Amino acid sequence: MITPVRCFTCGSVIGDKYEKFIKLVEEGMDPKEALDKLGVKRYCCRRMLLTHVEIIDEFLIYRGLKYGKD
Amino acid sequence: MSRGRGFSIKILDKSDDSISILFKNIPVEIINSIRRISMSEVPTLAIDKVFIFRNDSVLNDQMLAHRLGLIPLKTPVDKYKYGDEEGKPEYVSLSLTIEAKNDFRTVYAKDIKSNDKEVYPLYEDIEIVRLAPGEGLDIEMWAIMGTGREHAKWSPVTVCVVRGVPVIKILKECDSNCKKCVEACPKNILKINNGKLTVTNLYLCTGCKLCEVECPDYIKVDIDEKSSLFMMEIVGQLTIKTILTKSFDILISKIDDFLTKFNEVEIYEDAIPK
Repeated sequence: MITPVRCFTCGSVIGDKYEKFIKLVEEGMDPKEALDKLGVKRYCCRRMLLTHVEIIDEFLIYRGLKYGKD
Repeated sequence: MSRGRGFSIKILDKSDDSISILFKNIPVEIINSIRRISMSEVPTLAIDKVFIFRNDSVLNDQMLAHRLGLIPLKTPVDKYKYGDEEGKPEYVSLSLTIEAKNDFRTVYAKDIKSNDKEVYPLYEDIEIVRLAPGEGLDIEMWAIMGTGREHAKWSPVTVCVVRGVPVIKILKECDSNCKKCVEACPKNILKINNGKLTVTNLYLCTGCKLCEVECPDYIKVDIDEKSSLFMMEIVGQLTIKTILTKSFDILISKIDDFLTKFNEVEIYEDAIPK
C-alpha cells in the first residue's frame, strides 16, 4: 500500500527515503548508486526500497470521486 | 585470567548514528550483556495510545496506529519516568489534525504537533498516509516510555553486534605470484606489497578462513577470545553516549538487586544434600 516506516528485519527508518529514492531513479541514476547516496547500507533495508510497490495512489483516484471533487 | 587488568577501550569508527569500539582484555560476557541491555532494556518514548476521532483515509485505523507507533520521537533524558508505580503512566500528548482541501495530500511526520517542545518526530519526511481531496484526519496520541523487550518501536538501537577480534598470522614468506589467498578473501583485505603478503584492514576480517583453506601452510586465521569488537547503530531517540551509560547503569542495578536478594536468603550448610 504505502512505504513501510521501518525495515522489517533490522528496524532502521526507511519511511522517509522512498520518495527521494524514486526521484533519483527517475532522474536517471542507477538504483545501486541511489541507495548508496541515501545511506542505505544493509541488504535488508535495500530490498525494502527496491521491491516496494506503491499502490495507494491507485486507491486514491476512486476516493477522490467519492468525496465529490472532480 | 586477569580481572580488569590491562584492559583498553579504543574507538575505531564513529559517526552520528553508529559507533564501533574495540574492547581489549574485557570478558565477552560483559560486552554482550551491554549489547542485550541496550537493545531491549533502555527506555525511550514512542506513541502507544492512539485515539482516532476522524479517519477518512484508505488505511484502516489499526494500520494507521501501527505506523504512528513506529515513528521515532526525540526523548529528553530523565524527564519522563519508565513504569507506572502510582497507577497512571506519564505521557506526552501529541496530535495530528489535517484535511486535504482541494488536492491530494501526503501526511508527513512533521505534521504531528507535540505538547512538549523537547519531544518531536526525528525524521520529518516519514510518509504516514496519503489523502484524497475532502478526506481528513483527527488523531490524539499519547507517547509513553517503554522498552524494546515489549515492542521493537521502543528500542533505541537497530543493529548491535559483538564479535571476536580476528588474528591473521602469516607463518612464512610465500611466492608473491601465486595470489590464491588474495583472490579467495571476500572482503579484499589481503594485499601483496613489494612481494610481501600484508593485511590492510584487520577489523573487516570475518574469520571465514577461506584464505587458510587455499594456503594452509602459510596463513593462519584465529579469533582472539579475550578481545571483542562492539558495533552499534542507533535510531536517534537517545545519543550513543546516553545509551551506553544507561545500559551500564541498568546492568549495575540488576547486579545490585541480585546481591540484595541473595543476602536475604539464609544458607544453611546442613541443608546442602550430599
